Amino acid sequence: MSVLILTDGSDASRQALTLARRFGDPVHAVHMDAVAPFAPDSLAAILQQVADELNAAAVFAAGTDRGNEVMARLAARAGLPLAANCVAVTPGAPAALTRLRWGGSLLEEARLHSPRPLITVAPHTVSIEEGPEPIDVDVARFVEELDERDLLVRASDHVAPQDGGVSLTTAKVIVSGGRGVGSKEGFAIIEELAGLLGAAVGCSRAVTSAGWRPHSDQVGQTGTKVAPEVYIACGISGATQHMAGLKGAKRILAINSDPQAPLMLNADYTVTGDLKEVVPAITAEIRKRT
Amino acid sequence: MNIAQATALALALAVAGTLFGRRAWTLYRLLRSGKPAARFDDVRARARAEATVVVGQSKLLQRLLPGLMHAAIFWGFLVLFPTIVIAMTGAVDPRSTLPWLGAQGWYALLVDVFALLVLIGVITALVIRKVQRPARFKGSHLGEADLILALIAGIVTTLLLWHASQIALRLNDYPAPWAPISESLSHVVAPAAPVLERVAVWAHVLIILSFLVYLPYSKHLHILVAAFNVYFGRTRSPGRIEPIDFERPEAEVRFGSARASDMTWKQMLDTMSCTECGRCQDVCPAYATGKALSPKLLIMAMRDQLLSGASTPIVPNAVSDDIVWDCVTCGACVRECPVGIEHIDHVIDLRRNLVMVESRFPEEAGTMLRDVDRTSNPWGKPQAERVQWAEGLGVRVLQPGERAPEVLFWVGCAPAFDERARKAAISTAKLMQMAGVDFAILGPREGCTGDPARRMGDEYTFQRLAGENVATLNGAAVKKIVTTCPHCFNTLGNEYSDFGGTYEVVHHTQFLADLVHEGKLAPMPSEQTITYHDSCYLARHNDVRAAPRELVSAVGQAIEMPRNRERTFCCGAGGARMWMEEKRGRPINQERVREAVATGAETLAVACPFCTVMLDDGMRETGAKMQVFDLATLLAEAVERRRALAT
Repeated sequence: MSVLILTDGSDASRQALTLARRFGDPVHAVHMDAVAPFAPDSLAAILQQVADELNAAAVFAAGTDRGNEVMARLAARAGLPLAANCVAVTPGAPAALTRLRWGGSLLEEARLHSPRPLITVAPHTVSIEEGPEPIDVDVARFVEELDERDLLVRASDHVAPQDGGVSLTTAKVIVSGGRGVGSKEGFAIIEELAGLLGAAVGCSRAVTSAGWRPHSDQVGQTGTKVAPEVYIACGISGATQHMAGLKGAKRILAINSDPQAPLMLNADYTVTGDLKEVVPAITAEIRKRT
Repeated sequence: MNIAQATALALALAVAGTLFGRRAWTLYRLLRSGKPAARFDDVRARARAEATVVVGQSKLLQRLLPGLMHAAIFWGFLVLFPTIVIAMTGAVDPRSTLPWLGAQGWYALLVDVFALLVLIGVITALVIRKVQRPARFKGSHLGEADLILALIAGIVTTLLLWHASQIALRLNDYPAPWAPISESLSHVVAPAAPVLERVAVWAHVLIILSFLVYLPYSKHLHILVAAFNVYFGRTRSPGRIEPIDFERPEAEVRFGSARASDMTWKQMLDTMSCTECGRCQDVCPAYATGKALSPKLLIMAMRDQLLSGASTPIVPNAVSDDIVWDCVTCGACVRECPVGIEHIDHVIDLRRNLVMVESRFPEEAGTMLRDVDRTSNPWGKPQAERVQWAEGLGVRVLQPGERAPEVLFWVGCAPAFDERARKAAISTAKLMQMAGVDFAILGPREGCTGDPARRMGDEYTFQRLAGENVATLNGAAVKKIVTTCPHCFNTLGNEYSDFGGTYEVVHHTQFLADLVHEGKLAPMPSEQTITYHDSCYLARHNDVRAAPRELVSAVGQAIEMPRNRERTFCCGAGGARMWMEEKRGRPINQERVREAVATGAETLAVACPFCTVMLDDGMRETGAKMQVFDLATLLAEAVERRRALAT
């Protein structure tokens, strides 16, 4: 019984391979870059044809944004159910599977009634089994020509984020400013420090309300939730709204003129003083050492 | 009797009656197709609303000039109603009239006076519309209103002319001196009276019939349905939201309104009652700060969607997503509306559909919904931290299995977790201890009441939380609850009874005011000037206005803001807006803060944890130096002041 996998060489793709092997052998692969630039409908068309040709028992793909998209389109074309974000699958009729729900907070045991299970694998959840044999791929052309209509949706351009800076969600270090920064221009010293540390710049709700920074920079309950190694809070009092976005921060350094500010009370390290003096002093010290 | 004129009248009546009847029947059938709403109980309260709001014109008279204008026309038409029959009788035979009433001098006088009042009313309306041009009419059908005013003016003018020419021809059945206006007019029209008498009465009858036909096609439909809409208005607290019955068979459960046909018949009646006066728009904090929502335009859009028969989803075809999420559920529109439209119900039903069916809502609010569901508070804090605020205060935490003392202090999430809101909880606990009140808190067993989830439209999460809290409260045999949060206060007091929880719920301002009355707390007022900001969920949804003011007077010198008591202006946090970003228009909190600062008072007193946070933020954002304190904190200071003086 053969299995088909959609692969882009990512870890998630290799995990898909790991799960797919439980379903049967041989394993055939369709590469994401079979169609470039990325056109999800074309890939879905290819997958469908190949799966039919090989009489595939199941189709697996990496649960990446692209993998999920292609598989959703395949499911719609084939009229078959798709189980996304799976972490374990047992073949059978029905297939038993475990998948992530609610942003990873819940594990769901489910049964999939389908003549050909379509499955995507949640990224970063299944450890890759030791030494999966490299798939012996016969490069075969199953599809000679793609339908024009399947090329309608395709990636036309890649645009980098505007500032090109470090993203808040993945940053290891964040330098964040609050109302205490005083003005839009006041963020120059924050940006300078962040630049030196390879850090992302964040801010509190008060700052976005005042129009000093865009909402995309806002850390908090209604902004971005962050999880850096170090969070440097400059002139932020620490309203509950802001603290709610900081739960994942490992260490907090707070700089504030008010030692009783909630953020100062919740920080691992504090500097009581005017951030307009403290921040440039830190910057100067780093420059001296590097 | 003139056969030709009788035939003409019969014909006119038949045509007008058919045209009117067809439309009326269509509208009636539409209403009957609406989803059920339980609005037939409590006849006494409904009759009372009818007497004050409709007959007494109470809501209209809140605005003096437009109110008097409307009252003149409305009462005028009540008085003039029998003249329609008199005129029709007169149209057929100039010598006949309504038995008895047509011959009464006092009635002739009333007709004369009210006809004039209606005319004055119409002129006033034109002055308001053409000269004053208030902003509340923005978006209303202005041409339609002009036509209606012209028809009304036509009806009373022809009536007066007919009466005048009748008197000139001595055809009047009542003593002429009883109708002084018509009588003096009769001298002027005397030369043309024989012709005018026929022309005026026929013009009168035909204008009335045209008016009748036009009515159900226009916004003036309100004169037929508004009285019913007021009668069927909610009789329970305006702060209570009608629950969804999830126990019904799945196909029958209404997850809010996706399409116009999902509306309840009361909501349909709401849309038909709207006369586009814009009083709601005028008081709406979202509209006032340049957001997409206008409660008037929302109801008009719902009406247009309903009457068009379209089966497309209401959102985003008739109403944009932004409009649905701009609402703070402050209830200013509902309170202001003279015809009993309940705007919040429409907003909540649209939200319910978007959240529970479409899963479509402002992204940033998702955290709150998830945290309320998972950790039973909107910030995702561990339940164990619920008692942190009370550390060292010696507050009793009610243990499972124990019976509740006289008073259960329901702390609420914001006072338990938020640094700024915490002060009110601490002050309230200390004051109750000083007054010797036997009270306890639930500590980690207290959960979010579900208010923010419910106002977001997540009824399912709300009902789960309500069920858990009711089980805890009933399990401890709780009788009386004191809370500092007006949102908890509203939910516990007005909504939990739908889920088997009936308690005496008191807001801390009421409870503390009582303790001051009883002499158990003795505050010493200071010279500081204080302006008090009414929370919507206290002053408007629950009529708590006097107790907070008693506390203000007990601790300092009161200064009122222009928008106070039931006409207060929201802080911007209601309707789960606390957990959404205010991306459109100007910040509501800053608008309110500027109003407070303009009073010149030193302190802004509040009685709600969300108002505390929003207005304190507003002060910082605008750079104002005014201090924001909960009334409990101010009272605790005032009690300390007296103590310090005594020692």
